[in-house]
Amino acid sequence: MSFSDGASKSSSKSSTKPTYSRFTQQELPACKPILTPALVMTTFIMIGITFIPIGLSHLSASENVVELVDQYDEVCIPADSPDPDVVYSKRIGYIQDESTDKTCIRTLIVPKKMKQPIFVYYQLDQFYQNHRRYVKSQNDEQYRDPSASAKTTNCEPEAQLSEGQPIVPCGLIAWSLFNDTYTLSRNDVALPINKKGIAWESDRTHKFGSNVYAKNFQNRSLIGGGKLIDNIPLNQQEDLLVWMRTAALPNFRKLYGRIETDLEVNEIIKVVIQNNYNTYSFNGKKKLVISTTTWIGGKNDFLGMVYIIVGGVCLLIALVFITVYLIKPRPLGDPSYLSWNKNPASVQ
Amino acid sequence: MKRYVYINDDNLAKDIYCDNRISNRKYTILNFLPKNLWEQFSRFMNQYFLLIACLQLWSLITPVNPASTWGPLILIFAVSSSKEAWDDYNRYLLDKKANEKEIWIVRQGIRKLIQAQDICIGNIVWLRENDEVPCDLLLLGTADPQGFCYVETAALDGETDLKTRSIPSACMGIDVDLLHKIKGVIECPSPNKDIRRFDANMRLFPPFLDNDIFPLTIKNTLLQSCYLRNTEWACGVAVYTGNQTKLGMCRGIAEPKLTAVDAMIDKLTGAVFVFQIVVVIVLGIAGNVFKDKQGRKLWYVQYPKEGPWYELLVIPLRFELLCSIMIPISIKVSLDLAKSLYAKFIDWDVEMVDPETGIRSNAANQAISEDLGQVEYILTDKTGTLTENKMIFKRCCISGRFYGNESGDALTDAQLLNAASTGSADVILFLKVMAICNTVIPVRSKSGTISYKALSQDEEALVCASARLRMVLENKNGNILDINFNASPMQYEVLDTLEFTSDRKRMSVVVRECQSGELFILSKGADETILPLTYSGQQVRTFAEAVEQYAQMGLRTLCLAWRKLEEDEYQEWTSMFKEANSTLVDRERRVAEVCQRLERDFEILGVAAIEDRLQEGVPETIEILRKAGINFWMLTGDKMSTAIQIALSCNFVSPEPKGQILIIDGKTEDEVCRSLDRVLLTTRITESESKQDVAFVVDGWALEIALKHYRKPFTELAILSRTAICCRVTPSQKAQLVELLKLCDYRTLAIGDGGNDVRMIQQADIGVGISGREGLQAARAADYSIGKFRFLKRLILVHGRYSYNRTAFLSQYSFYKSFLICFIQIFFSFISGVSGTSLFNTVSLMAYNVFYTSVPVLFSVLDKDLSERTVMQHPQILFDCQSGRLLNPSTFAGWFGRSLFHAIVVFVITIHSYAFEKSVMEEVAMVAVSGCIWLQAFVVALETNSFTIFQHLAIWGNLVGFYAINWIVSSIPTSGMYTIMFRLCEQPSYWITMILIVATGMCPVLALKYLRYTYRPSRINLLQQSERLGGPILSSGIIEPKSRSSLDKDIPTDSVYEPLLSESPSATRRSAGPTQRLDSVQSQSPPHSTHTRKDN
Repeated sequence: MSFSDGASKSSSKSSTKPTYSRFTQQELPACKPILTPALVMTTFIMIGITFIPIGLSHLSASENVVELVDQYDEVCIPADSPDPDVVYSKRIGYIQDESTDKTCIRTLIVPKKMKQPIFVYYQLDQFYQNHRRYVKSQNDEQYRDPSASAKTTNCEPEAQLSEGQPIVPCGLIAWSLFNDTYTLSRNDVALPINKKGIAWESDRTHKFGSNVYAKNFQNRSLIGGGKLIDNIPLNQQEDLLVWMRTAALPNFRKLYGRIETDLEVNEIIKVVIQNNYNTYSFNGKKKLVISTTTWIGGKNDFLGMVYIIVGGVCLLIALVFITVYLIKPRPLGDPSYLSWNKNPASVQ
Repeated sequence: MKRYVYINDDNLAKDIYCDNRISNRKYTILNFLPKNLWEQFSRFMNQYFLLIACLQLWSLITPVNPASTWGPLILIFAVSSSKEAWDDYNRYLLDKKANEKEIWIVRQGIRKLIQAQDICIGNIVWLRENDEVPCDLLLLGTADPQGFCYVETAALDGETDLKTRSIPSACMGIDVDLLHKIKGVIECPSPNKDIRRFDANMRLFPPFLDNDIFPLTIKNTLLQSCYLRNTEWACGVAVYTGNQTKLGMCRGIAEPKLTAVDAMIDKLTGAVFVFQIVVVIVLGIAGNVFKDKQGRKLWYVQYPKEGPWYELLVIPLRFELLCSIMIPISIKVSLDLAKSLYAKFIDWDVEMVDPETGIRSNAANQAISEDLGQVEYILTDKTGTLTENKMIFKRCCISGRFYGNESGDALTDAQLLNAASTGSADVILFLKVMAICNTVIPVRSKSGTISYKALSQDEEALVCASARLRMVLENKNGNILDINFNASPMQYEVLDTLEFTSDRKRMSVVVRECQSGELFILSKGADETILPLTYSGQQVRTFAEAVEQYAQMGLRTLCLAWRKLEEDEYQEWTSMFKEANSTLVDRERRVAEVCQRLERDFEILGVAAIEDRLQEGVPETIEILRKAGINFWMLTGDKMSTAIQIALSCNFVSPEPKGQILIIDGKTEDEVCRSLDRVLLTTRITESESKQDVAFVVDGWALEIALKHYRKPFTELAILSRTAICCRVTPSQKAQLVELLKLCDYRTLAIGDGGNDVRMIQQADIGVGISGREGLQAARAADYSIGKFRFLKRLILVHGRYSYNRTAFLSQYSFYKSFLICFIQIFFSFISGVSGTSLFNTVSLMAYNVFYTSVPVLFSVLDKDLSERTVMQHPQILFDCQSGRLLNPSTFAGWFGRSLFHAIVVFVITIHSYAFEKSVMEEVAMVAVSGCIWLQAFVVALETNSFTIFQHLAIWGNLVGFYAINWIVSSIPTSGMYTIMFRLCEQPSYWITMILIVATGMCPVLALKYLRYTYRPSRINLLQQSERLGGPILSSGIIEPKSRSSLDKDIPTDSVYEPLLSESPSATRRSAGPTQRLDSVQSQSPPHSTHTRKDN
């Protein structure tokens, strides 16, 4: 039993009449749609007839993209042994030997006319930029602020030299900077690749400071990837900026530069590759991609295909529903289906 | 255990007993934080979240900023702690006010003013008119020369009328000044919570020596929290103080009730937790294997050659943290908010306001509204709950003549009025008994009109009726009664009152007519206890027939009798009576034996019949609720015949031939056993045919035997039979029956109005109190209080049903959205080297749970699947709630499957449309989050049955809010998301991806829902369709669910179904009984009294 004073208070309060409002009485005007056959079928038909055109236009846009892909990692280090283990160790020995010349020449044929701007990407497969150890190993504050160069939190194990001097830019991501280079020529005429403006505008202006310079970078015994130029501010070394926009997927492309002239059909492009970057340890692939873009971006058939499939399936579903509806019409809300109307004895 | 209280002894008592400090506080300032935290952390969910939050502090394993868990956790804790603190502070203030109140007491023979908290056992406390009693006192003196005083006990038992209290006879006549010096010893029981009994003795010391032990009863006490009224002063000695008073012992914090829905959610949470652990173990092993096979070759992550000892644990722990969002931290907050709104809707409902009194419904317990929708058994009291508890004298039979049979109202019967005015001796005697034989207190107002304060509605009815027949009870001055008959005054002295007990079923008074000095005993009571006591030779057949006739009309009957007493006989008896009254052991039985000696050789004067009308709408309410599949049990203290009558008239049992009443009776174990077996057999047969409507009737005595010795068959019967009528049951038996049904896993609702229902109300899953004429005691103990019984159908069918449906959706949806985002994280881990990377950033994760997904779904508390009218027309639909169709493991599995499907859709589409050069971590994450937000908006929209403006605002406004928040975050240069959202919104492929995610995610769901909706519709779906299309159900013209006329045709409320009753073995034993009730205080019945004192 409780004799709390609260109860007596509430009982005196409760004798006052509650104020009436449509909200308190749960009588707000409400629209109560139900799934009528007409509504559902119309929805499916509408989805069908809008999705298929969208899918087709997306596919055609994707078709219009001209894309040249050349996988060069295996070709550039030929290995003639049938034993994969031997191949593996040979390639690693090759890539890790600093003294050898790693130049590799590839020729590509332009399949269709490519209008400028033409984008040059490098693509890495099986490279986990989204690995937890990797993706966390950076410190935005250090990159942005010149006075914060000592701040290397999260950057382990590439935080500082053994003597304690901080590494700028610190962290695994910067340390593993991609360092293959491509030189393109067409008919023995150099095809210039514009590497300005390949990074995001916001990265250049905000993420990386204009007066932050590389310090102690790649000075440890273990050399990762590319080196940086010490007297150019970080935000102008756009390769780093592009690299540091980590990819969410293990197969990714990053912008290398732009070709600002049109390429004609069947033109032969000679690519001189400095094959420095080690993807051989983890059996990753390296590809050079030269591609145009349309309104959907680069080549991507997936969206268009799925749109067409979803649209088609929706039309099919609508068709099935209509057929079933015509063969076996069933009135909505027929009370004879109510169980207590069917069998009144079972429910008192 | 006994307690000895030495009156006025300042030194002795202090150390032994506690002082009068009242404390209702749960916490002190020092222990608040630890105790409160301890209480909160005793919940599994909170322990889980704390563990997660602590793990997140370890930066090696945390996928996101620890703030994403600590923030909500601290918020939730702060909210519930401050609520606790505020409640406790208010309790403290109330205690402080009570403790520091200034009270006059006697110390060292002088009157002193002290604070209430300093009162010690044995102190003499002085009170003035309208003072609150600070502790339990034994009265020693009052201003009244007769030693009476009046108290109002509303705070104790909710009864608003005044009660008389008297000083023990030993203290009678002691001078006021001497009271300061009085010394003595009181022998009383240890503190207990029985507010009806105080079996104690007192001995005074010299100079008050009387060499005698005086018996004390509850009548000699003033209990804490009562008010002294109509008495200039009173003084008494403190016998129980502080938290040991009767009130303090009664106080207790009721166990928090857990609804079936909450239990189901807890169970599901446990299952999710197990699932989570499995996922974590699998992913943890996969992660470690990947690390050893592949990870060490990834030179760019620089795995150290030798890791620390806990290296193997790191990846599983990371996944534990990633998966911790599987159990939504927001669910408790969301549910609490929703529940308090359900309760508010009940408080606000204007259709549940009693039009007569203006009392509105109140949900005192905010947490159990869903249970209302899952009720399977309703156990109801009769008087005051089903009936109005407004007793009206309707008919009588005086010495063989029936009055009131033609007009239906004896008070307008010309013959009776005539007989009264002409002074027919029989009639005058009858009226005298009506006016005198009671404990009514007449109160004369300033205008001269007399009103009566009575504990029993029956007595009030009799006194009022006698007043209208010119026998007016004018004044009660101590023992002297002033009666005015036909303008001629008479005086009677009441010498003894032979009180009503439920065993005796009668009460008598011994009076002396002041003028003639003649002695009488006047008596009234149940026919079975009065009729056998007649003098040999009187014909009682007419009276028995009258009783029979009245009982069949559903009237309550009382037999009135009298006898002249001789002076010697009385003197001899009165000393025995005094002695019996002063026994400490088994007092009640001894007194009853003595009373029996005087109550004999009566002359029966007549039979009075009193009507207690059914409340408005009771039969309809019961019919609708029975249609809804709820089983009704009536538990009443009233006699069997009246109970059966009422049960018939309010649709408890269908009339013959469909309905059948089976009676379990018997006085011995064997009889009860045989009777029970017979009834069980019949019930089994009829239940299997399922055409019949079987009800069993059992009385308190048989029930006690059945519960004690034949529990198993009785339980089986209880499950088989949809209806039961239990008469003559005590409060504790009512509670036992509730317990019995609860043990069979039924959801029970107990409804009652009086103190005798409190235990049943507290015992049941849901207690409903009717704020009726018997005070507020039941309403206070209850979870819900309503003004009239008929509101119960709205409470259950509308509020309970909606609450259940809404909570079912809200809780499952909370899990759905948590699963959705968690599955995406798990899928992502497979393309991030099983290293436990979080795809989403801290802001997104936190806002997703706390804001984006919680706001729209919170407005589902406004959702109504069916209109109130449809539910009232088809109460059977409640079955879906009772059987838990909307929230159970299989519906939960449906939501689980949906979240898995949606996670696959979002993840696959995202990583394919944002592949290669677009696969920037931040962008992919935002695309995935946007996909989830879009999907969940459409899921909520698809599952919403009725869209009010709020739902539209919440669902679509939330989408807008999502973009607004992300644009704001995207415009902060230092945030990791700088410019991301702007970039995305500019890309056509982002929007194309969103549309694709919604279409791919929703089309199969829509198609499935449509198929089920059309070809395998649930009952709710069918009603929705017919409601909105105006189908045949609504067009049949039944607008009002309670079509009164059709009901009246079927079951006339007052007619009698003779064949039905005559079939049952004891139908002939239909009798009227005593209808007097002295105290409707909750009976803490001692084991030997099997019948309730409250008798209606």
